[in-house]
Amino acid sequence: MSLFAKAGHFGHFSWQVICRFVTLRWSVDTTLQHLSQTLFRCFLPVIAVVLPFGMVIALQGLEVFHLFGAERLLASLASVAIIRELSPVLASVLVAAQGGSANTAELGSMATEEELAATKVMGLDPIKLHVVPRVIAMTVACPILNVAGTTAGIGGAFFTAVYVKGENAGIFIDQLWEYTTPFDITAAFIKTAVFGLIIGLVSTYLGYYAKGGAAGVGKAVNSTVVNSILLFIAANYLLTSAMFGAMS
Amino acid sequence: MRVAGPVVRALAATGRFGLFSSRFIRVMFQHRPPFRRALDEAYRIGVQSLPVLLTIAAFVGTNLTMQGYHAFKPMGGEKMVGMFVGLAGVRELAPIIAAAMIAAKVGTEMASRIAVMRIREEIDALSVMAVNPHWYLVTPRLMATILVLPALTVLSIYGMLVASYGVAVYQLGLNGQEFLDFLQRGATVTDLAYGAMKSLVFGTIICLVSCYCGFYSKPGPRGVGSATNSAVVTSAVVCVMVNYIISELVYGR
Repeated sequence: MSLFAKAGHFGHFSWQVICRFVTLRWSVDTTLQHLSQTLFRCFLPVIAVVLPFGMVIALQGLEVFHLFGAERLLASLASVAIIRELSPVLASVLVAAQGGSANTAELGSMATEEELAATKVMGLDPIKLHVVPRVIAMTVACPILNVAGTTAGIGGAFFTAVYVKGENAGIFIDQLWEYTTPFDITAAFIKTAVFGLIIGLVSTYLGYYAKGGAAGVGKAVNSTVVNSILLFIAANYLLTSAMFGAMS
Repeated sequence: MRVAGPVVRALAATGRFGLFSSRFIRVMFQHRPPFRRALDEAYRIGVQSLPVLLTIAAFVGTNLTMQGYHAFKPMGGEKMVGMFVGLAGVRELAPIIAAAMIAAKVGTEMASRIAVMRIREEIDALSVMAVNPHWYLVTPRLMATILVLPALTVLSIYGMLVASYGVAVYQLGLNGQEFLDFLQRGATVTDLAYGAMKSLVFGTIICLVSCYCGFYSKPGPRGVGSATNSAVVTSAVVCVMVNYIISELVYGR
């Protein structure tokens, strides 16, 4: 399929999902089940990635601010960097790698074992049953996991600054909210919700149309991770320009 | 026992991974290295993942510049953007994002290919034919990764810098020369070399973890899916943790 045909196919699929979402043809129970599963699956990986990254940020930041004798600025800049950019992106990468690929693997094995076709034969709607709850769960899970990631990242920065490098803990906590505005936190929520929506749609689309047995599922999982990361990083640039460009 | 189960399983997996890696080293000395297959793999890993990698790197650069600009603006330090990009981008973010993308693109492919071979019993067939499966499957991939990844990382750093220069000059209207001056204060050629060195370590981790996950895949499409899944997550998590240790050793003192 050519690129445009694929984009159109994906758009049609997304439209079907959105129609079913708007007309409330989805079950809350299944959505909650998928939500808890996604949160449970992704929680540890997100923490395990954002926490060391916060530590690295503190390490590099201290080295620079040391040159200017401005170590007290570390906390405020670390919190701005982590809240605005690092935690949303890294947490979403991990959600795509863990939750998105799990979605694709599940839906893909259903598709290749013809369970989805069987659902259709029985007069049920596979998109309504299997796709919409997963997309909603992903959209909700991503911001929640981002909160966990942000907390872990700032915690990591605090740990390195105070316990490894011996900065003053009081100054760190005092400076933490110096440059962070409430709008930053809102922006992080909006961004990660959009990323979650992208991950959910891409992962379910590729799983739903997976073909060719186990090898096809493997390939679908591979392209889920790559394509969803590609799409949401591009979306990130547009969102950042739109939200922060307007302020200046 | 309910608590002990997962712990024991994790320990067993760690041990099995260690044995897997050490068997690979033994194979290296027993057989002639498979240069031709390594070159094929290097083409697949290097050339085919370059467009994705450069696209991601470019967007990382644009975001970094935007965020750095808005973070430094309240203090009147818009010029510092170059330094911010050098420090955060060249030193940390570009190598780790490149590693994450390699794990996502190449690692998942390795895991799913080897897992499919495992469930179709092709790996058993290799052993029956007296071809060492480690030598045939893992060694060329590892050689290729080690060959290609430093180059990919350096290229993606350059891609990121080009994109962030573009944003700084044409979208935010900063002075290009000033941007470059401050960039060189934040990052030097030594940092590029460190980035390439880091990527060697990341490449080894990604390749071994992905091959391991594929090699011990569970049967069926579900097994292949979950092997692919755990390959990318495990290697990304291990890479970020190792990254902290390397940064502490290199820049910490």
